[in-house]
Amino acid sequence: MAKALPLKGIRVVNFGWVWAGPVTGQTLAFLGAEVLKVESQARVDMTRNLPPYAEGEPGFNRSLSNHACWAGNGSVSLNLKEPEGRQLALDLIATADVVIENFGPGVMENMGFGYAELCKVKKDVVLCSMPGAGLYGPMKNVRTYGLSLTSITGLDSLVGYKGGTPVPVENAYSDPFVGIFSAFAILAALNHRDNSGQGQHVDFSQQEAIMQMIGPDYMDYELNGRVAGPKGNEHPVAAAAPHGVFPCAGDDRWISIAVPSETEWQSLQVAMGKPCWADAPEFSTLVQRVENIDALHRRLAEWTAASDDFQLAEELQAHGVAAAPVLNIADLLDNPHYRERGTYVEVTHPLGFSETIYGAYVKTSRTEADVKPGPWLGQDNERVFKDILGMDAERYASLVDAKVIY
Amino acid sequence: MSGGALAGIKVVDFGQMVSAPFCAKLFSDYGADVIKVELPEGDAARRTGPFPDDVPHAEKSGLYFINNTNKRGVTCDVTNEAGRALFLGLLEWADVLIENNLPGKMREWGLDYEQISQVNKDLVVISITPFGQTGPYSGWNAYDLNAYHLSGASSRYCGRPGEMPLEHGTFAADYFGAVSGAAWGMAAVYGRKLAGGGQLVDVSCAEAIAATFVGGQNIGGYAQDGRFDKRTGIGMPLGAPATIMPCKDGHVWMLALEVGQWQGLKKVMGNPEWADMELFDDMLTRAQNADIIYPFIEEWTLQHGKMEIMEKCQAAGCPISAVFTVAEAAQQAHLAARDFFVDMEHPELGRVRNMGAPFKLPASPGGPKTPAPLLGQHNQEVYAEILGLAAVQIDQLRREGAIGEVAGNG
Repeated sequence: MAKALPLKGIRVVNFGWVWAGPVTGQTLAFLGAEVLKVESQARVDMTRNLPPYAEGEPGFNRSLSNHACWAGNGSVSLNLKEPEGRQLALDLIATADVVIENFGPGVMENMGFGYAELCKVKKDVVLCSMPGAGLYGPMKNVRTYGLSLTSITGLDSLVGYKGGTPVPVENAYSDPFVGIFSAFAILAALNHRDNSGQGQHVDFSQQEAIMQMIGPDYMDYELNGRVAGPKGNEHPVAAAAPHGVFPCAGDDRWISIAVPSETEWQSLQVAMGKPCWADAPEFSTLVQRVENIDALHRRLAEWTAASDDFQLAEELQAHGVAAAPVLNIADLLDNPHYRERGTYVEVTHPLGFSETIYGAYVKTSRTEADVKPGPWLGQDNERVFKDILGMDAERYASLVDAKVIY
Repeated sequence: MSGGALAGIKVVDFGQMVSAPFCAKLFSDYGADVIKVELPEGDAARRTGPFPDDVPHAEKSGLYFINNTNKRGVTCDVTNEAGRALFLGLLEWADVLIENNLPGKMREWGLDYEQISQVNKDLVVISITPFGQTGPYSGWNAYDLNAYHLSGASSRYCGRPGEMPLEHGTFAADYFGAVSGAAWGMAAVYGRKLAGGGQLVDVSCAEAIAATFVGGQNIGGYAQDGRFDKRTGIGMPLGAPATIMPCKDGHVWMLALEVGQWQGLKKVMGNPEWADMELFDDMLTRAQNADIIYPFIEEWTLQHGKMEIMEKCQAAGCPISAVFTVAEAAQQAHLAARDFFVDMEHPELGRVRNMGAPFKLPASPGGPKTPAPLLGQHNQEVYAEILGLAAVQIDQLRREGAIGEVAGNG
C-alpha cells in the first residue's frame, strides 16, 4: 500500500460555506490535504441547522446532512468581526498552501482577505474564489440559490417532460458538481505553483463550470441555430432509441433502458420474446426508432409494466441490454452494488453518536481515502492555535473568553 | 501547448462520447500534452452529432468538437497484437490514461489495470464508467442514463409525483463522473511520489452522484430514522415562492423566501393587496398555501418578460433569475464581457464559436486553442515523436493493421 495520501502536506484554509465550498475542501481532504474550515458561532452556517439531527436532538453540531456534506473538513472557530480574529485567520493562511471561498465578489476584500492581502502573508498562495457568476462582469453580483443557479446556464431549460415546460430540479446538483470541479482547478493551480513558484487567484465562476454540461445542445445551437427544450429522458443528441425510464410493477417503480446500437436493439427484441410490433418497419433502423420514439416507448412501457424492476434489469442485462432499476432513497443504503463499493459508511462522531455519511466517492487502488465524521464547530482550535500558531495557553484562554476564538 | 498549468503532464485519452473525453479535455485545455487514441472507426461521438444540417460526417460532430480541443489524435487498432503493443508503447510514455470503456471491454482487449500497470508502474489510470470497476453491476452494460437513475437523484429530486423521474436533458452523470475523475486523478498525479507510484482511479458516475449529491443530503436521515422523501415537482415544497414559473416570454426561477426577499418581490409587483394577507406572512405559511399564492404571483409574471423580472427583482434584493434558453445562455453580455467564448477555426466545420475555459487561471491561462483532431490526423507525428518510429516502421505498422488505416494514406 501507499506511503502516503497524494495531498499529504498541503494545508487548506476553507472559508467556503453552505455546500459547494465545503465539498471542495472535503474532496481535497479525502485525498490527504489538511483542510481547516474557518467558521464561527457568531454566524453559524445555515446548513449546520438543517434537520434531521443525530438522535433527533437539535444542535448545530448534530445536523446529519451537514455532516455528510462537510466530512473531511476540519473546523476552526474564529469571529471574523473582531480584528484579532481576522489577524489570526491571516496568521493561519501564512502557513497554508490554498485558500477557498464561495462568497460573492468583494466579500473577501471587505474582510481584509483580498488576494493582495493574502500574498503579503503568503507569497505563493493559491486563492480559489468560486462566486456564482465569477469575479467580474456585468452580472457578477447576481443572487441565486444553488438550485436556481443552473437557470442562468441554460441547463434548467432542458429539464422536464418532452415538449412540456421546465421542471425544477429540487436541489442543487450544481453544488457538489462545482465543489468537485473546483478541487481540480486548485490542483491545476498547485501544479503551476510547483512548476513556476507562482501562486494565483483562481476565478472559478460556477455558472461557466456548469455551462460545460450543456455542451451538446450548445453545439446544436451554434451549428444549426436550434434551441433545445425539455426532452424527458430521451438521449441528449438523439443517438439512441429506446432511451428512457419505463414503469414496473409496484408503487413508483421504474427501469431505465438505453439502446444506442443495432446489436442492442436485436438483443432487446430477443429479451422481449420477439414481439411482432418490434419488427415493424417504423422501428427497423435507429433513425426510424428515433423518429417514432413515442410509439416505441409506449410499446416498451406496456411490456415492462408488469415486471419487477430489479428482476427485469437482470434479465435484460443477461441479454446485453443496458438496463438498471431506478433507485429511490430507501433503495440506496442496502443496494448490493453500493454495499460492496462501500459508498456509505457508518462512523462514530466524537460527540458520541453514530452517523451514516458517504465515504470516498471515487475508489483509488494505492491510497485509501481518509474518511472522518462531520466536523464539530471549533474541533481543531487547540491544535491549530497552540501547535501550528504557537499560541500559549493563557492567550488562548483569554481569546476564548473574549469570544474571538468562538 | 506549453505554459499552461498542467504543462509537462502526458496523457493518453482512450475514451469515447462524453465522460472520458471531457475529463481529458480538462487536462488538455490547461496545458497537458493529450494524445487522443481512437479505434479505426473513431470515437462514437463522431457518429452521433449534432451535425450541421443533421448530415452525419465523421469530422463534423459538434459533440466530438466540443470535448476534444487541444488534443492530438491518433488511430490504433488495439484488437490486434501489433496495435495493442503500439498502444502499450504510448502508455509507457504517459503519466495518465483516461478511459471510459466498460470493464469487460478493457479485459477483452487485454488492457485492464492489472495488465497495463505492468508496463508503467507510475501510470495513473482514470477509469470513468457508469457503475465502476467493482461491485455486482460492474459487469453490466450501461450508459449515462442508467447511471443517473441508479443514483437516487431522479426519484428524489426531479419530476412530478406519480410520473416518471427525469434526468437533466444532458449527459448529467457523464459530466459528474468526468469532473470527479479529473479531481481525483489530478491529485494522484500531483502526489505520485508521496503515494509511491501510479494507481487506478475508479470512478463510478452513479456512485459519485449517489454519494455527494443524493447521499449527502439524505442518507444520514434515512439510516437513522428510516424516513425518506421523493420528488414533488415543485422547487422547494417547504418554502414559497420557490419554483419555476411561466412568464410572458418563458420562465423564471421564482424565489422569495427570507423577509427582505419577499418584501422586495412585493415592491416589484407593485404591492398588491393580496400580498398583505396574513397567511402569506412567512415562507412556511406561503408554502402551506401554495395553491393560493402561486396563481396570484403567476398572474403578475405572465404580464412581464423574464429579463425584466430578473433585473427588477435582483435590484430589489430578491434572488429571482430568468430561466435562460440555450440561446440566451450563449448570447449573454456577461459571458461575452468575461471572454468566455472563443472563436475556433476547424478544417471541416469552419469558424465555430466555442465555450471557453471552465475556470480562469490568470497566471497560467487555459481554454481551447486548437480544434479537435481529425481522425488519425497526428499518426505520423505522434508515433515518430513519442515512440521514435521511423517512417518505414510506421508504414510497416500500417500494413500490419496496427494503426487501422491503409498504408500510404497518412
